[in-house]
Amino acid sequence: MGLFETEAAKALASSAVFLFITVLLMAAAKRISTCIMMFSAQSAVMAMQVLAIARMRHSREAYAIVALVLIVKAAAIPYALFRIVDALKAPRDVSSSTTSAQSIFIAAGLILLSFFAVKPYAGALGVDEAMLAAAVALILTGGFLMVSRKKALMQVVGLLVLDNGIFLAALTTTFGMPLVIEIGVVFDLLMGVFLMGLFAFRIRDTFEHLDVSKLRRLRG
Amino acid sequence: MTIAINVVQVLMLVLMAPLVRGVIARIKARIQNRRGASVLRPYSDLAKLFHKEDLVPPSASFVFRLAPVVMFAVTVVAAAFIPVLRSSALLGIRGDFFILVYVLALGRFFLLLGAMDGGSSFGGMGASREVLVSTLAETPLLLALMSLAMVAHTASIEKMVLWTTGQDFFELSAVHALAFAAMALVAIAETGRIPVDNPTTHLELTMIHEAMVLEYSGPSLALIEWAGAIKLTVIMALLVGLFLPWGMAATFSLPAVAIALVLWLVKLGGMALALALVESSVAKLRMYLVPDFLGVASALAILAVVFTALMR
Amino acid sequence: MTQAAFNSFLVALLLVPAVTFILRRWKKARVIPSSLLLLSLITGLFVAGISFWSGKHLAVDLSQWTPFPFALSIDRLSAFFLFLICVVAVPVTLFSSSYIERHYAGARRDWLWSLLPLFLMSMVLVVTASSAFAFLFGWELMTLFSAGLIVVDGDSQERRHNIFIYLLMMHAGAAAVVAAFLLFVPQAPALDFAQMRTSIALMPQSFRTAVFLLAFTGFGTKAGIIPLHLWLPKAHPIAPTPVSALMSAVMLKTAIYGFVRFGFDFLGPGPAWWGYLVLVAGGFSGVLGILYAIGEHDLKRLLAYSSVENIGIIYLALGTGLVFQANHAPIWATLALLAGLLHCLNHAIFKGLLFLGAGAISDSAHTLDLEELGGLLKRMRITGTAFLIACCSIAGLPLLNGFVSEWLLFRSFLAASGLTTLTGATMLPLAAGVLALVGGLAAACFAKVYGVAFLGRPRSDEAETACEVPRPMQIGMVLLAAACVVIGVAPGLVLAPLSATVQEFLPGAAMPQEAASLSAVIPWIALSVAVLVLAIASVRRIKRLTPTWACGLPALNSRMQYTATAFSKPLRQVFSRAYKPNRTVEVLPADQPYFPASISYRSVRTTSFEKSLYQPAIDAVVITAHRLRRLQTGNMQVYLLYIFAALIALLMFMRWS
Repeated sequence: MGLFETEAAKALASSAVFLFITVLLMAAAKRISTCIMMFSAQSAVMAMQVLAIARMRHSREAYAIVALVLIVKAAAIPYALFRIVDALKAPRDVSSSTTSAQSIFIAAGLILLSFFAVKPYAGALGVDEAMLAAAVALILTGGFLMVSRKKALMQVVGLLVLDNGIFLAALTTTFGMPLVIEIGVVFDLLMGVFLMGLFAFRIRDTFEHLDVSKLRRLRG
Repeated sequence: MTIAINVVQVLMLVLMAPLVRGVIARIKARIQNRRGASVLRPYSDLAKLFHKEDLVPPSASFVFRLAPVVMFAVTVVAAAFIPVLRSSALLGIRGDFFILVYVLALGRFFLLLGAMDGGSSFGGMGASREVLVSTLAETPLLLALMSLAMVAHTASIEKMVLWTTGQDFFELSAVHALAFAAMALVAIAETGRIPVDNPTTHLELTMIHEAMVLEYSGPSLALIEWAGAIKLTVIMALLVGLFLPWGMAATFSLPAVAIALVLWLVKLGGMALALALVESSVAKLRMYLVPDFLGVASALAILAVVFTALMR
Repeated sequence: MTQAAFNSFLVALLLVPAVTFILRRWKKARVIPSSLLLLSLITGLFVAGISFWSGKHLAVDLSQWTPFPFALSIDRLSAFFLFLICVVAVPVTLFSSSYIERHYAGARRDWLWSLLPLFLMSMVLVVTASSAFAFLFGWELMTLFSAGLIVVDGDSQERRHNIFIYLLMMHAGAAAVVAAFLLFVPQAPALDFAQMRTSIALMPQSFRTAVFLLAFTGFGTKAGIIPLHLWLPKAHPIAPTPVSALMSAVMLKTAIYGFVRFGFDFLGPGPAWWGYLVLVAGGFSGVLGILYAIGEHDLKRLLAYSSVENIGIIYLALGTGLVFQANHAPIWATLALLAGLLHCLNHAIFKGLLFLGAGAISDSAHTLDLEELGGLLKRMRITGTAFLIACCSIAGLPLLNGFVSEWLLFRSFLAASGLTTLTGATMLPLAAGVLALVGGLAAACFAKVYGVAFLGRPRSDEAETACEVPRPMQIGMVLLAAACVVIGVAPGLVLAPLSATVQEFLPGAAMPQEAASLSAVIPWIALSVAVLVLAIASVRRIKRLTPTWACGLPALNSRMQYTATAFSKPLRQVFSRAYKPNRTVEVLPADQPYFPASISYRSVRTTSFEKSLYQPAIDAVVITAHRLRRLQTGNMQVYLLYIFAALIALLMFMRWS
């Protein structure tokens, strides 16, 4: 393998570290824009990972996926979310039900849990333990964000992080899903973001706030 | 020869400390669209203070005048632990990071006592707030340093720096990233910068460290200010040494030492710039949110320690 | 010769009460009991020192005259604890020779001088016993004599309640210790320590676990780990000052001695979970103990809770040692045990000094409430400086002895990263985080104590008119302060014989090189700090006395200073879950909230253990007892029926077994 390939392999190995950092930062973040930027960074890193794999396996489909991830997940969706945040003119804090320190402890616990969960499988499948653990950690963190954040927009961000985790898991174990499925998933996400944007405006106009916990008033 | 370089390192840290403060203040001023004072201003401040009288309350005991002396002595001794130009330090042979952290704690303890001795409300107020911050900052600092020590299989700072120099930057693992994040947060708390404490305020609502030293004047105040600057420089040099040590002189030849000096100045300047940017872009935290801030640092440090075992 | 010295030491201790009793009417002979006690303790110190430093073993066997085997023997571990007892008792006796004269008269004074040597004797018995009978004899006597000493100070209703709880919990702990000894009977019927040691291989593992748990509970009650600490803040503050000092500094260490004997010497290597249990107990005691101390402003009760914290630190060390032993790492176990045993000595010295300082404060300012003190350093120079050294030691600051033991413990946690088990390699380094938190909180607590009591301005007239205590009291405190400094700057003096001590009962132990490296670097750091401080302090700085700027108000009065409660408020706020305070604020008159005639604020902190742990347990016992009362019908025929039924049951059991 050439010099670039070995560097790529090394960079691949340490990108899991970067993903853990983004997970922790997202959990500790107090502003919506921070979370959106972390998501964008995560997607960019994952696009680089696919690029490294594409170079190693010389697959043209993989290059298409790189472009797709970069354009849609790392650029378009975050841009749309930023536009929604601006237009809503709502307070930009995250409205969490846990404090910053508690959230980061929970995120740390989720990371350790994912390490313990993937230990037996990583050896059997022959994949990098850290990457698989990062994937599971992303899934769990996405779920945690959806559960603990009260702003409607944060539910979307949580879902996006969850999808990132699934994508990474697929990448690690099978070196990527077929292009058709990738395109389908990505466009589903895009639709989801726009729909959530529309609904956010409706919710805000009807109830004058975006606090999801107050939806309980709809109970009969 | 080693001893000579080590002594030079200590003198560098001690004498350059006010300059570091001046540079950070100048960068912050520029960011705020002002011209800012000269970077050598802290030196003239110290000179002015040394010429003045020491005003002492009649009810104060010897602890009041002893505290600044102890604080200054302690920070100079702490500076002797840090490798700057070569990976060796005056007290580095067997001095490990526990002694470094607790030597700084000794100075802080005496400063707390000196504050209480002033007999005014501000002293007690500053002491009680400072105690909150420093108690909670010890755990993440020690845990982060421990995780680095566990990875490098040594507790001595100069040996840790030596070990890091032998590693490739990209091979530094999650442990280093997490430890760096934790130590950066703790460094802000320990040195009393925004977002934990504002080093330039004298409003009762917002002071922590400044309230402790409010009663001091003249040479005592000069010693405290200088000691604070040395502590800031020492912590920045510690971070540089533990995480970015490449470029240190391996031999005693003049070119090697000169290159090491220039590189070190560049790294320190980069850290000063980063600190100034952080201070200018984040608001100061409410005091009861500081435990939250330090809780984040603790979580990162705990994760760093656990990762040393996980990623073995 | 050492043997003869030891024998005479024991005899002299028993003589002092007799001498006190005989000479009680003769006023001129006031000084004889205290001098005799002092001389005998110095002899004991000499004996213990020789035995500890040179490893000479001594023995006394009185089995011929007693129904059960009663023998004493001094090996290095006993010598170390005997040394600890004497090192603290000598300054305390010196202190008491003046303190007791000033505060007690007549019969109470005689009782104190009679019971004090007997109390010391019982502690000596416990640490030098080599048979279970002697050990338990001394153990129970310790409780009884200390309770007697507390009673001498007065027996109001509240005091009697506290003494009752003290006696009750001590007996419960003693019961557990007796049970632990009794489990050795199948293997070692004479319950002689040497026999117990050699016969442990014959004991099945379940028995060993039972012995460990019983020893842990029994000695833990005496040592005061959470949640068995309830008696500590009740008993220590109400005792006379010299007795509080001895109880807190020395008596708690006898429990540690017992636990080390059982856990390491008798039982030998055990499973790792023993160590983790001790580690967790130590962690909780350390954190909760110091949190409760921070919330106190009665000086003696604060010191009592701080003892709980330090016992927690010692247990952290012992637990680490057990884990290392279970993982076949004897050198690291030595390091942990060195930390634990040295912390016993250090705590004894600086806690003894702190209690003596509290006695000096109550002697001159007639109060122990921190909110009423202030500015005492200017009025009591020697006491203040000695107390400053003690506060710095207990805060674990370098150049004093507290730092040495904490450093050793930190290094043993660091060494744990070499363990192969995941639990060990992660839990032990994380325990270092707990120790860091405990150390930080201790520094905060004692900065509060010293800053509020000795610095600033006096907050009451009593504190204003305080003056220095008499010479013997000062000398007692200075001796202990000197010991703090000596061990802090030259720890190698004690570490070498201590590591030989550990080698006596831990197979494979050896002096760890971290200990040697510390002894090499600390003097340099001490020297550099001292030189710098002296150099800078000698530079002439002109001083002008000016009153503190009062923001334009006419003058600052002492009420404008921070109080102890105010100082600890931020920490209490952050750790509010440990405190659960009950706050009432009353403004009078209620219909004029903005122009009140008086505002009163009351905050009562409830220690959650009484409500959530002890009360339900006591209620359960009482309810069960009530239910069992139904058996007591008062009808004689029913009682005969009980006997008859038991007889029938025994017959059937005999037939079918």
